[in-house]
Amino acid sequence: MGEVIVITSGKGGVGKTTTTANLGAGLSKHDKKVVVIDTDLGLRNLDVVMGLENLIVYNLVDVIEGTCRLKQALIRDKRYENLYLLPSAQTKDKTAITPGQMKKLTSELKEEFDYILLDCPAGIEQGFMNAIAGADRAIIVTTPEVSAIRDADRIIGLLEGQQLKKKELIINRIRVDMVKKGDMMTVDDVTEILSIPLIGALPDDEQVVIGTNQGEPVIGMDSKAGTAYMNICKRIMGMEVPFLELTSNTGFFSRLSGFFRKE
Amino acid sequence: MLRKSSVSIARDRVKALVISDRVHCTPDAYDNICRELFISLSKYMELTEDDFQVNINRTQVIITFAGEEV
Repeated sequence: MGEVIVITSGKGGVGKTTTTANLGAGLSKHDKKVVVIDTDLGLRNLDVVMGLENLIVYNLVDVIEGTCRLKQALIRDKRYENLYLLPSAQTKDKTAITPGQMKKLTSELKEEFDYILLDCPAGIEQGFMNAIAGADRAIIVTTPEVSAIRDADRIIGLLEGQQLKKKELIINRIRVDMVKKGDMMTVDDVTEILSIPLIGALPDDEQVVIGTNQGEPVIGMDSKAGTAYMNICKRIMGMEVPFLELTSNTGFFSRLSGFFRKE
Repeated sequence: MLRKSSVSIARDRVKALVISDRVHCTPDAYDNICRELFISLSKYMELTEDDFQVNINRTQVIITFAGEEV
C-alpha cells in the first residue's frame, strides 16, 4: 500500500515543483515505484521541470472525467525505471475536479505505487483542497523569508484543521554567506517558528537552475542540492540520515557548510 | 555591532505575523497580550520583565518566567 505525499507551501515560487520532481526521481532511484502528479490546473509546470512536456497526450482532468484510462495518461520517465508523471491540464481550471475525485484517484494509485507525490498549486483555494484531499503526509516547502514563512504557517494550520497529522518541513534556498552575515534566518529560526519536524534544508544552488533549464533533476548530478534532495528521500523512506546539531545556534552554519561539503 | 541585523527584524516581524494569523488578532496585539498578562500575573507572583515570555502556538499560550529558561 503506497503513501500519498502532498508537497505544498502556500506561497508560490519557493520550489514545490522542483522539489516534487527531485524527490520523485530520488525515490525511484531507490527502487520505489513513484508517480508524481501535477495538481495545478491551468498552470502546468511539473512536466517542463522534468523535461517530459513533449510526451503529454492525456492529463489529470481526462483521467478524472473518464476520457481516458489512468494508464494512458501516465508518462513514464525513461531516465528512471519506476517514475511516472500524471500531468495537469493546461486549459482547465481548478473547478474541473473535486476533493472527492482526487481522493478516489489517489486511493487507486496507492494499490500500484509505493509513493504518490502531489505537486500542490500555490494558494489556499480549491486547488489546494483538491491536492491535500487524499494525502497521508505533507511536506511543506518554505524559504527563509518573512512572507514564505508566514504562508507556510497558514498552510500548516489548515492541514491541522484537515486532520493531516504527518507534516514535515523543507527549508529551501538557504544562502550560507548571508546567514553568516546575519542577513538571513537560520534553519533553527525557521523551524522554531513553524514548529514542525524538519526533513531537509537545501542550499541555494545554481545547479538547480541549470537542471531546470535542461529539464533534468539535480538529484542525479554531483551538486549540494542533489545530495540534500537524496537525503530527504532517505528520510521519507524512514532511514535515519543524520542532521547536524540543528538545535544549537552557535556555529551552526560553519558545521552546516561542512555537512554539505561532506555529502 | 551597532546595526540591528536584518535577521532580527525579520524574526520579530514574522513572529508577530504568525501569531496574528494564528489567533486572528492585529499584529500589535501580541505586545498588548504580553503586557497585560505580565500585569495580571504580577499581582499574584514575583515576576521580572526580563524573564517573562509569552509564546503563542497553534493550540496553546505558553507563559515562561524566571528559572524556566536553560
